[in-house]
Amino acid sequence: MGHHGTNPLRSFPLSDPSPAAAAPILVALGSEARTLRLVHTGFRMAREQGRPWVAVHVEVADWETAAEADQARVWLQEAQDLGAETAWVRAATVSDGLIEEGGRRQVAQVVMGKYRPLGPWDRLEHSRAQEAIQRLLGVRIVAIPLDTSTVRSVQSGADLLGVVLAIAALLGVCTIFASALFTVVGFPGIPPVFALGVGFIAHRWGRAFSAPASLAAVLIFAFWFIPDPFPYQPGDWTNGLYLTGALVQMVVLLVDRLHQETRALRRREAETLLVMLLGRALGRCSTARDVAQVLADRLHGLFQAEAWMLVPGDGDTWLQLPEAPEAPPSPCPSELLPQFSDHATRPEPFEPLFMNACTYVALAGHGGAEGLLQLSLDRGRPLPQESWGLFQSLAVQGALALERVRYLEAAQQARLDTESERMRNTLLGAVSHDLRTPLAAIQGAASSLLLPEQLPEETRLDMLAMIRDESERLARLLSDLLDLTRLQSGTIRIQKEWQLLDEVVGAAVLRMEARKGPLPIRVDLPESLPLVPLDGALMEQVLINLLGNAHRHAPDSPVELRAWEEPGAIQLEIADRGPGIPAEFHQRVFDKFFRMPRDLKDGGVGLGLAICGAIVKIHGGAIWVEDRPGGGARFRITLPLDGFPPAPFETEPLLPTLDATP
Amino acid sequence: MSQPLILIIEDEASLRRFLVPTLANNDYQVLTAATGADGLAMARSHNPDIILLDLGLPDLEGGKVLQSLRQWSRKPIIIISARNQEKDKVQALDLGADDYLTKPFGAEELLARIRVALRHATQAVLDTPVLQCGALKLDLERREVSMDGVPVRLTPLEYRLLEALAQRAGKVATHAQLLNEVWGPVGAGQTHYLRIYMGTLRRKIEPDATRPRYLLTEPSIGYRLNVD
Repeated sequence: MGHHGTNPLRSFPLSDPSPAAAAPILVALGSEARTLRLVHTGFRMAREQGRPWVAVHVEVADWETAAEADQARVWLQEAQDLGAETAWVRAATVSDGLIEEGGRRQVAQVVMGKYRPLGPWDRLEHSRAQEAIQRLLGVRIVAIPLDTSTVRSVQSGADLLGVVLAIAALLGVCTIFASALFTVVGFPGIPPVFALGVGFIAHRWGRAFSAPASLAAVLIFAFWFIPDPFPYQPGDWTNGLYLTGALVQMVVLLVDRLHQETRALRRREAETLLVMLLGRALGRCSTARDVAQVLADRLHGLFQAEAWMLVPGDGDTWLQLPEAPEAPPSPCPSELLPQFSDHATRPEPFEPLFMNACTYVALAGHGGAEGLLQLSLDRGRPLPQESWGLFQSLAVQGALALERVRYLEAAQQARLDTESERMRNTLLGAVSHDLRTPLAAIQGAASSLLLPEQLPEETRLDMLAMIRDESERLARLLSDLLDLTRLQSGTIRIQKEWQLLDEVVGAAVLRMEARKGPLPIRVDLPESLPLVPLDGALMEQVLINLLGNAHRHAPDSPVELRAWEEPGAIQLEIADRGPGIPAEFHQRVFDKFFRMPRDLKDGGVGLGLAICGAIVKIHGGAIWVEDRPGGGARFRITLPLDGFPPAPFETEPLLPTLDATP
Repeated sequence: MSQPLILIIEDEASLRRFLVPTLANNDYQVLTAATGADGLAMARSHNPDIILLDLGLPDLEGGKVLQSLRQWSRKPIIIISARNQEKDKVQALDLGADDYLTKPFGAEELLARIRVALRHATQAVLDTPVLQCGALKLDLERREVSMDGVPVRLTPLEYRLLEALAQRAGKVATHAQLLNEVWGPVGAGQTHYLRIYMGTLRRKIEPDATRPRYLLTEPSIGYRLNVD
């Protein structure tokens, strides 16, 4: 459940000018279902004010249950999906945690939930905490009312004392009021007053307090209103006592029933919300593996259980996703699946099955069952029946996501097929011209050399040199074509290693100069550049193509290569003083076989920049071209500094010289 | 030494057609084999001074041929391979091949590689403790390095790296070989160690670190100390 950390999109800002300028909004998240409102409020405020936002959950030591923590993670994940940075803070109290985190991040505003206070002490405590946050951070607090539950649970001894005193005071007020009423209308005025009071107690603090309160009400009636309770004398007084007791009990039961219904409603609401959020998370998945991971995460949050998807793999095999070494073995789904649709033995065909310490449900979408969802609760318990409905609806969501992924793959494949067909056609066109020209030259020169008439020595050497040059050109064209095909078909597996840019640049420059003689290339690489994760051979090709282009278009002026580090990325720039590239071609120069009208005669085939684009793309970076101030073209590459850089070295002392030793 | 005997194990006739006259014209005796099995048999019967081995043979994997040869022969073996076979090349070099050529290659490159390999074969270790290439002078006995007579101060690891390259001066040294020789078993797989030390070594030795003259990079394979 690694939901912490920052959004990958945010940790690698490609063209983010200066997000640090605006102070963030801090949103304090709890674990209740209504917390989602805070997430959405935070998102809206951040967007309106153009600020970044941070979602923080404060874990108060020994106070939060594992289920609450998991739920809080779901909300943090939701916030992260909406562009928030997230933080998990442990502190003694919620306000301590918020003050610490808010101070560290220099927040501009704090958004938090306004809970209905438990009692007057609680209210005081709450406003005191808010004041402390406000004073210490010097920021505005936006409190969003959250009607989290009708019954507030009592957490501490101080709370208990407060509630008991409040109930005592309430019963006192009832007694005074009933006494006043008693003097006017006699004993029939008493029971409704107490019924009202106890009803309120039941509504506010639940059965645990309303039951003793109703007993107290009966006792007050017996000892306060009956002039001489002992010994019992049947009569109006006794009837009044029974009436009070019955009325109070009825009200308590009614209120309790209401609570139960409200709770069920809340649970259903939370479940609907979960299914909706799951649907949204699944909508972003592009592979079956992603779908399995999302399902596993959410099921873990819900049931504290491990979950796997069993889906068809290649041929007759089944895959258990996400792959985990500790995954329990599963029965073969092709044997288990028919059991789900066996109407003879199971009236509800897609009801979960429990076997081998795991609960299974069919992943049934539009096209029938496609696989199984396997759920393993700790100690091999079966999933309780009241959760079956939720489990099934999650499975349906998963199945639909699987189907969508499959259609997506099919569509992708169809697009690839069209693309490769188009590529083949363009290729044939290019091949017929670009391969034939050098071949014709080679063939012609070789056949003249073979003629019986002796050619002058100078002509002979010239023709031989031409054969060599043209065949080199053919070799380059061929390897470019191969590279591009392999890059785009995805058969090249990129091998990123932590490299010094100096070395890659050096190899590229050297290979260029071996071919063309010394070139005016100015390299400016700061010594402080970090190691960069890249595929050396591929990136060398990118540099050779870019340097070669720059040199071809501006043979007399120096080409400048610079690199610098930015947060999370390395920037590379290759700039020339050639004629530049018109703005309308800035995008298209990276297309296969694209040549600018003025370059049609220069012998290129328009693959070099397409190769650069493909290589930079599989590095997860970006490449583009812009006009260089003062004239010329400027190619820019940005490469992500992702992964974990290798540990730094200890510096070594220099070797002593022999002369220096005594 | 009389005319050295070269065995070419290469299945493509056109390449043999280019190799045989080129080598014969440069005072080498040439034998050819078109399959791995033939090549192994001829290597046993003629004991050539140097072997050119194509990695893409029709009958046997080039790596297998190399392993069989290395079981009994310590003569230099130069691998011929296509581009994009970097993995095979590294494997062959780690299995004991001396050097490699990437198709297509020119005659000059071929002859230079053969000369270096033969020189190494005739002198098992450097015959003098002093290696001079261009302005770079490396005295292995005194553990001293100088450029144009000016001493260069190296750290122990930098020195060991330069020494490992000098032991194979002119030949390629793979990442794995260098890591093993400089760092020992702990270096396995830690190619970035090598890159960092190569970077500092270059800054101390090369006049222009982005246009190295002495410490050449062989992309995806290793490094070569240039002696020309």
